Amino acid sequence: MIFERNCLLGILAAALLAPLLFQNQYALHIGVLIMFSVMLATSFNLIVGYVGEFPLGHTAFLGVGAYTAALFSTRLAMPFEFATLVAPLVAALFGFVIGAITLRLRGPFFVIVTLCFAEVLRLIANNWIDLTNGPMGISGIRKPAWAIAGDALHQKLGYYYVGLLLAALSLFVSYRFVYSNIGRAAIAVRENRFVAQSIGISPFYLGLVTFVLAAAIAGLAGGFYANYVSFVGPEVFGFSFMVSMIIMVLAGGKGTLVGPVVGAVLVVLLEEYLRDFKELRFSIFGLIVMAVVLFLPRGIMGFIGRRHETRAQGATTHA
Amino acid sequence: MDLFLQLLANGLVIGTFYALSALGLTLVFGLMRVVNFAHGELYVVGGLLGWALTDLVGLNFFLTLAVVIFCLAVSGYLIDRLLIARVRGQGEEPTILLTIGLSIFLTNTAQLVVGTTPEKVVSPFASKPLFLGSVVITQSRLVLVAISAALIVAVHLLIQRTTLGRSMRATFQDSMAAQLSGIRTAHVYGFTFALGAALAGAAGMLLGSIYVAQANIGNVVSLKAFVVVILGGMGSFAGAIVGGLILGISEAFWGGYMSSGYVDAIGFGLVIAMLLVRPYGLFGKHVERA
Repeated sequence: MIFERNCLLGILAAALLAPLLFQNQYALHIGVLIMFSVMLATSFNLIVGYVGEFPLGHTAFLGVGAYTAALFSTRLAMPFEFATLVAPLVAALFGFVIGAITLRLRGPFFVIVTLCFAEVLRLIANNWIDLTNGPMGISGIRKPAWAIAGDALHQKLGYYYVGLLLAALSLFVSYRFVYSNIGRAAIAVRENRFVAQSIGISPFYLGLVTFVLAAAIAGLAGGFYANYVSFVGPEVFGFSFMVSMIIMVLAGGKGTLVGPVVGAVLVVLLEEYLRDFKELRFSIFGLIVMAVVLFLPRGIMGFIGRRHETRAQGATTHA
Repeated sequence: MDLFLQLLANGLVIGTFYALSALGLTLVFGLMRVVNFAHGELYVVGGLLGWALTDLVGLNFFLTLAVVIFCLAVSGYLIDRLLIARVRGQGEEPTILLTIGLSIFLTNTAQLVVGTTPEKVVSPFASKPLFLGSVVITQSRLVLVAISAALIVAVHLLIQRTTLGRSMRATFQDSMAAQLSGIRTAHVYGFTFALGAALAGAAGMLLGSIYVAQANIGNVVSLKAFVVVILGGMGSFAGAIVGGLILGISEAFWGGYMSSGYVDAIGFGLVIAMLLVRPYGLFGKHVERA
């Protein structure tokens, strides 16, 4: 717990100072993508790592958040601050409804039904042209004043720090959640559902609370993303975001808060690095996913955490 | 009335094709409980291999089918022994990830090799229409429905009547007990996955002669196959056929009488509705243990 908190604070300090070192647009753009990915991975990790189910349709909430922000901004001319606040609320509402239906199911059924919901939402985004403008997507999302003023470098810098603020907020809420009584109960359910039930924990209720929180964070990420790229299309519901989320959480280490952050940084950097390989990069990406599952089943943080634990144990036995 | 009959006939034909394309997944997901997201990609590989051999090389259709089945069976066996066997018994999550990784790799490598243009398997059957009363159906589709039915029956007999089938069922019920009674379970897992992959490839090639073989349709095929298997109930062969037919007929009617935009959403809507009412499928058995 303390190790994890110190890690997170260290990463926060590094993230605050990083723009001093990298004073160019490209680096800051990658920084913004990292912040977006950190939010997504944290949200996905809440369900995978703490409820122990695998929501393969988690992009539903990302998409709902992005479309909400886009619609509120273009149709109702709401400012950025407000649209970014509404996005997680609407996503949380969707999370409540979808969670209440899907959390009755377990294992492969849960996996596939959540995926079905995301697909249905994608089809709606594609076909309800009056609302979503169909495959053309929604463009011209209003940017806040600080993102128009100044040169391109300053705009990117503004997005970087807003992203950092939102990501830190998501992680803070997740941290408080995971180390609250609800979070501990959720871990009990994950470790052994039947024992947890026998001491009076309701898995369904806990799952639903976590699901709603995760949906809200994913919606926040979606709202931020929509405003940053200033365009939303049906592909926000698509499988490619899902795949990145999965890899970030698994490579980093699920069930830890630091893991997904590390995973997000690594995956974004890796995707950028693999750009040199052009079309081959997705094939390489697939191979990396398989390698991670086979050789690093607990992720990077799982590996480091275990070494940290054994060393701590070794120290106490020596003393 | 004519429209109704025509839509029903279309639905039945498409439903049989759905059942065919989901047949491999019924084995791998339904019986073996491996959530195989690479199913659609195996289907695509089968289709593309069929196209390459019939169109580019000019091989006979049935010879090509045999080659496709053999190649995919071998790769299926290797996939199971080299990849999936290493995460067996660790729950479904690592398997899902492994197969997602495999599907990303296969889709993009296929796109790299043949591009994204839709290709067609050269078929020996004429596509001239047959008139059955007021219903029109092409000859090639009718032949394919017959082949699909034969394949479904063959796999059903294989599982119910042969020694291999019996050892499969024993292994998936209780692998420890199966091992104790002398079944080489590692091989059984491998053979089942090989059979699933071979069926996926055969379906890809057969349907590639009517529709298209294309590198990037794997995801859609996987999803529809999952819908069919879940609609029918896990591991039940009658279920897979019924699931396919329900999906095909409801899509045909929805497309014919309502809007065509949301046709693809029907299957997902059906799955969501059915898992709420009957969480273990139409023909599945309900077992929950501590």
